[in-house]
Amino acid sequence: MAAVDALEEAVPHPITVDPRPQVTTGPDGLPRVLGIRCRACGEVAAYRWPRCPACRGAVEPAEFGPDGTVWSATVVRIPVSGRTPPYALAYVDLDAGPRVLAHVLPAGGPAPVIGSRVRLAEATPTGDVQVEVVP
Amino acid sequence: MTNAVAVHGVGTSHFGRQPERDLVALAWDAVHEAFTDAGVEEVDAVWVGTVFGPPGVAQRVLRAMGITGIPVITVENACASGTTAFAEAHEAVRTGRYERVLALGIEQMSTAFDGAITPEDTDPEGRTGLALPALYAMAAARYLHLGAATPEQLAAVSVKNHAHALHNPRAQYSGRYTVEEVLASRMIADPLTLLQCCPTSDGAAAAVLGPATGGSREVRVRGLALRSGVPWNHASPHVWGHDIVRDTAADALAAAGLADVADVDVLEVHDAFTIGEIVTTEALGLVKPGDGGAAAARGDTALGGAHPVNPSGGLLSRGHPLGATGLAQIAEITWQLRDEAGARQVEGARLGLVETMGGGVSVLDGNACVVVLLEAP
Repeated sequence: MAAVDALEEAVPHPITVDPRPQVTTGPDGLPRVLGIRCRACGEVAAYRWPRCPACRGAVEPAEFGPDGTVWSATVVRIPVSGRTPPYALAYVDLDAGPRVLAHVLPAGGPAPVIGSRVRLAEATPTGDVQVEVVP
Repeated sequence: MTNAVAVHGVGTSHFGRQPERDLVALAWDAVHEAFTDAGVEEVDAVWVGTVFGPPGVAQRVLRAMGITGIPVITVENACASGTTAFAEAHEAVRTGRYERVLALGIEQMSTAFDGAITPEDTDPEGRTGLALPALYAMAAARYLHLGAATPEQLAAVSVKNHAHALHNPRAQYSGRYTVEEVLASRMIADPLTLLQCCPTSDGAAAAVLGPATGGSREVRVRGLALRSGVPWNHASPHVWGHDIVRDTAADALAAAGLADVADVDVLEVHDAFTIGEIVTTEALGLVKPGDGGAAAARGDTALGGAHPVNPSGGLLSRGHPLGATGLAQIAEITWQLRDEAGARQVEGARLGLVETMGGGVSVLDGNACVVVLLEAP
């Protein structure tokens, strides 16, 4: 963790609260996304929000992943502030979980085929959710 | 007791990259033309749509033309900011809160961004690097995967709208491109190429609304609706942005007392990217699901086709200064319904539809969508 903290400090940014989904490590050592599940309607989200975004019901903490399926994907080829194109992004439907936007490993590689199975990897030192294609 | 509402006048600046002109100048072009068109010298209130501001921009541009003291309200609803201003102005007239209201949309993009809009750092997906072209690219890639469109059909939307803009002197870009040229232009976010993306634009557009009196140049507002997005996720049956357009259109058609969108003669819809027009024509019910791309390729949605879409050239060609876009769409449909659209006139158009959809907030199926139905004098 110390190395990660040092990296975080090496990348200054003006915002103190990171809005991206938080990735943690499950009891099996594999990554999970922290989120919520609605006690009323069952809606899931990859964010620790106070209420359900679909029905405003009460929510409970939940963890999702590590496996999922690519719903769609693209490669961004234009300059984006703080990033080096090209980079692949995928919307991944985590099994029994929400759709999350993730960077695709290896960095700079192609977009994964839609429908392919992917697995969460550790978040990047700067906090991006990442997935890699399951061979 | 509520009023029937009409558009009494419209105006726009030129649309394009014009960093040498400030928003005072661009807004003056739009408001002066709209006031002249409406035959008025003053209004009772102003709603202003803008996304990137800056703070105070509405009062700053209005005071330069002597519009001070009256209520001025600024609204932001992403790409639907201009039509949101229109919707609120309409409601103010309909309910009798004010008699004559100006809706104004303004945006200067060229001085704010080098290229594409910088993704919003306080949004999860913005912070992850999801530039707006990439959000639409996700929908386009999904369509290609499902066989709901082909690359050539995506490109056909660009070919059509750039050709329409040849007849629109206010448009930023126009041209006779081929499908091959569109597909060969630089890749922005796979599968969307440069000519499938709206440009960086500066501009202003305005409309004067008041009670309908049956005047010979009044375009009546038959009905409109505004919605914000509900969650869009793994359980959604359609691509991002489809359902909010479908649901808002259903509301607007009901408000207008219309049973079938096919009764509409001319449409201006949100084609910030080619896939946007395809998804929108399907969501509106104008074409069958999965037939939006084929309809564009066949010419169904071209001038001279059964349902002309974006005769102005759309956002792809006219340009897309976010806050101004919705009111530029209103202006185009107003000119169409008054038979004043010149070489891009849809013959005999009696009923027109405007649709604007804005997005960028993660998890939601769009920040807002506005659909307006307008009727010829």
